[in-house]
Amino acid sequence: MQVALAEDGALFREGLLMLLKAAGHEIVGAVGGGDELVALLATQRADVAILDIRMPPEPDGGLTTAERLRALYPDMGLLFLSHYAETHYLMRILEIGTDSIGYRLKEKVGSVDVLTDTLDRIHAGEIVIEPVLAKRLVERPRGEKKDVMASLSERETDVLRLMAEGRSNNGIAGQLFVTPKAVEKHIANIFGKLGLHTDTSEHHRRVLAVLTYLRSQRTEE
Amino acid sequence: MTPASPRHDGERSPNGLAVGDPEALPGPRSVTRLREILQPDQDPDGDPDPADQVGESVDAAQRRRAADEWLRRRLLERQLHDGASLRISALALRLGLLRPPAPGKDEDWQDRIVELQDELHAVLQELRDVAGKIYPPLLDQAGLAPALRELADQAGVELDIEVSGPAKEQRFGPVAEGAAYFAVAECLTERPSGRDVGGSPELRVRIDRDQGDLVLAVAGVGARHLNYMLDQARPLGGSADLAEGGTPETGTITVRIPCK
Repeated sequence: MQVALAEDGALFREGLLMLLKAAGHEIVGAVGGGDELVALLATQRADVAILDIRMPPEPDGGLTTAERLRALYPDMGLLFLSHYAETHYLMRILEIGTDSIGYRLKEKVGSVDVLTDTLDRIHAGEIVIEPVLAKRLVERPRGEKKDVMASLSERETDVLRLMAEGRSNNGIAGQLFVTPKAVEKHIANIFGKLGLHTDTSEHHRRVLAVLTYLRSQRTEE
Repeated sequence: MTPASPRHDGERSPNGLAVGDPEALPGPRSVTRLREILQPDQDPDGDPDPADQVGESVDAAQRRRAADEWLRRRLLERQLHDGASLRISALALRLGLLRPPAPGKDEDWQDRIVELQDELHAVLQELRDVAGKIYPPLLDQAGLAPALRELADQAGVELDIEVSGPAKEQRFGPVAEGAAYFAVAECLTERPSGRDVGGSPELRVRIDRDQGDLVLAVAGVGARHLNYMLDQARPLGGSADLAEGGTPETGTITVRIPCK
């Protein structure tokens, strides 16, 4: 996979480069800021761009740069790495795009396997969300969502948490050691209980429906 | 908190140290949890909080505030020592014990590395926790409303925030924003306990700008919250006034904090 990287911390950038190389990816460029990344990608193509959220142009150059990149190259995957897993940033990221996009904690992509899985899923069009954040969304519902969430079975909660991470049916099935068919059934039950439409057949739309549901109280802003 | 019982009492790794997933804390006890978020080591059986005494004198308030500040510093130091430092020390020892894998034992080796990385994640979470108590990164990056929302979210507390004007006008500088954040955070901590969050009245915050002042209207509070607001506003030349509601938790406090 061809990967471009923008990160203003030289130490972390070098470490990530080594890991990307070890994972067998081709690095088309590694730069220290958003503007440099846009300039680089004007002459080089990449499958996925990896961006630090908090980098130049300040304050959150990763997000503003990603907006520009999504407009220029709609098919290029975007992976945000941050020191913080915050719902505030997740919502801003989902405004930039809801497919081929990911948000993970910097220290959580520290192995060839995890990094490759994350990049592969983004490259395949999925949303990838830091499990710590997905778990928090599912386990700490707001207000009136509490009763609905409490009505989910333990297995349904597991499925919802993995959905909130952006995992596909097959991905969820693999994690829970059940068949994709069983996952489908759970998802139908969950959507029934949450009162969401099941006609959101496309994977990323369904993930978005779940995330929007979990966060719906904040959209009133 | 003692060194033997880290706050993040999540899963345990084979060596007995908590793997430290702060997300694994029980959810519904949000009032307790928020207190933990803001004041990690506060002894629940300690002296009654003097701030509960409504209408204390300015001198007394200043003394209490100064004392609080030193206690807060000591708690943060202790949290760094008992949390991150201790975990890093243990990691140094475990790294020292690491040996190259025996032939055919690569899997064990990988497991060991993953354990160490999990431990590093726990250390980072604790450092983030301490950093957030000094000055929340989201407050710096995104401003008052997003930072307060995140705080309420993480604690599972209901908080309704209303902001006026375009986003660009929502920044008030690090001083006023810091004071306003911690004033509201204290109110969140001081929500009536013993009541389920679902049953407790909602806290509503309105953020405005008026002639160079940051103006906060915090509804759903009572007289006991006024001192916290005054603590933050007064040293900056600001003010806090209470309009009483019918019950102790239905008043509105209006806080003004000059932005310069």
